[in-house]
Amino acid sequence: MSRGKDEFPHWPLHLFLMLMVGVTIYPILWVFTVAFSGQQNLAFVDLPPDPGVLDRLRAILPWPETVTVSNFVSVFSDQPFARWMLNSIVVAAATTVVGVFLACTAGYAFSRFRFPGQRAGLMSFLVSQMFPGVLTLVPLYIIIVQWLGLGSSYIGLILVYSTTAIPFCVWMLKGYFDTIPKELEESALMDGASTLTIFTRIILPLAKPAVAVTALFSFMTAWNEFILALTFLDNERMYTAPVGLRFFVGGFAEQQWGYFAAGSIVAAVPVVVLFMFLQKYLISGLTAGAVKG
Amino acid sequence: MSQHILASDGPPAPAPTAPSGFRQLLLGLLVGVGVGVVLIGWLGSAGRGATVRGAERQSGIVHLSALVDLVHEAQAAGEEVGPRVAAYVAASDEVKSARVVDLKARQLVADAGADATTEPLPMRLQRQDPNHKAWYDLGQGLRAAVEANTEEGRLWKEEIDVEPAAGDGMVLAAPLTMDGEVGGVVIVEVAVPAPALSSPWPMALAFLGGALVLFALVGWPLRGRRRVLQWLALAVAVAALAGFTVTMLGLLGADRATAEEAVAAQVAHAQQIFSRGAPELPPADAARWDVDRFRQPRGMIQAGHVDAKHLAEALAPVKARFTKVFGALGLLALLLGAFFGLGGAQRLGHTLVRYREAYLFVLPAMLGMLFLVFFPFLYGITLSFTSQTIYNLDEPIYDIWVGIDNYVDILSDFDLVTRSEGESTWNYQNFYWTLGFTIIWTVTNVTIGVSVGLFLALILNTKGLAFRPLYRVLLILPWAVPNYITALIWKGMFHQQFGVINQVIQIFGGSPVAWFDSPLTSFATVLATNGWLSFPFMMVVSLGALQSIPSDLYEAARVDGASRWQQFRLVTLPSLKPALVPAVILSVVWTFNMFNIIYLVSEGQPGGATEILITDAYKIAFEQYRYGYAAAYATVIFVILLIYGTWQNRVTRASEGV
Repeated sequence: MSRGKDEFPHWPLHLFLMLMVGVTIYPILWVFTVAFSGQQNLAFVDLPPDPGVLDRLRAILPWPETVTVSNFVSVFSDQPFARWMLNSIVVAAATTVVGVFLACTAGYAFSRFRFPGQRAGLMSFLVSQMFPGVLTLVPLYIIIVQWLGLGSSYIGLILVYSTTAIPFCVWMLKGYFDTIPKELEESALMDGASTLTIFTRIILPLAKPAVAVTALFSFMTAWNEFILALTFLDNERMYTAPVGLRFFVGGFAEQQWGYFAAGSIVAAVPVVVLFMFLQKYLISGLTAGAVKG
Repeated sequence: MSQHILASDGPPAPAPTAPSGFRQLLLGLLVGVGVGVVLIGWLGSAGRGATVRGAERQSGIVHLSALVDLVHEAQAAGEEVGPRVAAYVAASDEVKSARVVDLKARQLVADAGADATTEPLPMRLQRQDPNHKAWYDLGQGLRAAVEANTEEGRLWKEEIDVEPAAGDGMVLAAPLTMDGEVGGVVIVEVAVPAPALSSPWPMALAFLGGALVLFALVGWPLRGRRRVLQWLALAVAVAALAGFTVTMLGLLGADRATAEEAVAAQVAHAQQIFSRGAPELPPADAARWDVDRFRQPRGMIQAGHVDAKHLAEALAPVKARFTKVFGALGLLALLLGAFFGLGGAQRLGHTLVRYREAYLFVLPAMLGMLFLVFFPFLYGITLSFTSQTIYNLDEPIYDIWVGIDNYVDILSDFDLVTRSEGESTWNYQNFYWTLGFTIIWTVTNVTIGVSVGLFLALILNTKGLAFRPLYRVLLILPWAVPNYITALIWKGMFHQQFGVINQVIQIFGGSPVAWFDSPLTSFATVLATNGWLSFPFMMVVSLGALQSIPSDLYEAARVDGASRWQQFRLVTLPSLKPALVPAVILSVVWTFNMFNIIYLVSEGQPGGATEILITDAYKIAFEQYRYGYAAAYATVIFVILLIYGTWQNRVTRASEGV
């Protein structure tokens, strides 16, 4: 299709897109500015008592007065942020391992076996996606914290995170397993291989891309989770990064925006990069059926 | 292996050989009655234990009240309190220690018992002594309770405090009235030896054995007639469970009577000690020491003995409650027995064995889902019918059952507008306000998301646009940033004094806006935040759909002389629909449940005006600790989503059919 005379000139489109890009990246630049300012307050500059338009323009320009990494240094050395990052890493990593194990085995069974309750099981996974988080939050809190006493512990969070991610992961993996030709297994079966061997030696290696996406998805879900962690954790040392970042600026104590910004960058950059790689899988997976916020 | 899809043509497993109806029913009877008596016996024992503990507490209250009277009389007579309290403690085996604290003078007036202080009394309370602090706080708490009850004109806070002691026994505390108001507190540690309870298990075994023997004797001659045997088994099981229930109820009643007699004995004992301490006074009316935790007379003990009428009255509701619970347990056990007796369990067993490989693979995930998704879901629905709070977690669920009260409270409150002095204000706590706000929030957000996303996708889809990949990556960023971080960033940018948004407003000559002080501006902040993070999803979905539209469609349209607008309306939009409809559904559910943005940016300000349903439910649960009410609230949210899902499904299907 050549550009006919009814085509738009492109410059207004670029202008609009640049405006939108500006809106999009301003909050991100804002975090970087606060993080590198070396201060805890929100203002980029100290305004004179009677500021003019130029002063005010300077005040919204996302560039700190002095560029320093002191916030990054002290969020790790003076604040327990290193500990919180460690908590997040442990919880997210364990969630990934447990979640992928659960999703792979179940996904394989749903894809390759015919058994009574198969359809009901798959549908129940789908329906569970409709339960709003808060509906199970109160009972989960009572079960995990009050009954089992796993409030400020890794295990409580890992258990809950890995099960909440199951339905999405199972559906995604089942879909992928379905595309692996069955002839491969048939010959192995002829040779007398057990189901377990087929699963671990043939299916899993072939499904590596899907397993990797599932793993990354589980990791990101656990890494970014906020409400459950906020509800379950009451020991400051056991906070995960999201709860810790909120701790810097929420509440009634003095707000430490510099620590928040520096910590946010450290916590978010890995998942933002991951997300950029994963988004196309996520979109197909999401629109295929999962319905959860 | 026969269940593996590759080998699904394998030979069918041999049909399970059916055991004769008689043996199967005997097994069912064993399981049903066995499980039934164990459940009923176990719960009954718990109830009997509670009765014994109740009597122990009541004896403690009797001694406590006697000591309160003792202190009153000593003060009225102008005597020293300490020696008389010490004499009482020395004379009683049950009272381990007693303390009297004067709240006004902040003095320990009396201290008797094994670990009593050796300092001269009265002594000033030491702030750094944890015991002294605890006693003082206890006294202040009771004083607040008494004052609250007086002010409200009803009894709603307990005026006697009971806590388990470090070792055996319990610590009780009652307020001490001085000059017409609460000026002190009496604290005693009491250990009353508990009477031994007879075990219910021989009885349980007798009922189980009796049922089996009876069924075997009567059923053996009838073993050919299946239907008759089934009815016989059911009758025997019901009779056995009913018999055991009646026995347990009898035991409960007898235990209660014994326990109350023990209280009566303690009343007599207390009276004896009391009179010995003050021989010059007329014997006190000891029955008035038998009070409940609101310091109201129970009337259970008349003239030194348990009043039969009162006991029967007190027992009636307890028995009614246990009858209900035992009935429910019995029914459950009968169902289980029927499952075994009619062969369901055996068939299930065979299925499990036959498909064991598939079930083993599904088991880990299924267990996780059962315990951490489906069970909590059902438990949440159960909770919604109770008045569960953080304060009554130990109480069994049938004690806090309130039926549909929570739902009625939520749904029947139509006081949307409060009128006072001619001014009417919205009642932001009302469910329908929150529901309305949630709907407005969802609709505006999805509209903004779809229009901005679609518009950007259309622009990005322009043929030959330079830098398209760069634009795409930059515009996707908001979706990639974890949304709790987004929320906190925007919260900072909307800061009234230092936020950049107010700086921009000032550049244009405006004055800084207090964003979270009015519902409309507060709504604007959450809308801006959520709009920022939600348009990329729509953009990416639309862009993907746009790029998959074959260009011949446009060529054909152009050949037919369609204008740009007609091309958009007749080619682009219909092709977008299959991708956009699921995306919109998804985004409606997401936005409806978008907890983080509301919770972190507007925090529901001002006064809960910008709360959405799920943040409201969260705050009811974890700021007010009303778990039952919050569960009902969450269930209502679930039903709303369910209705939306069904409706959406029907609309989508109908439009696909056209």
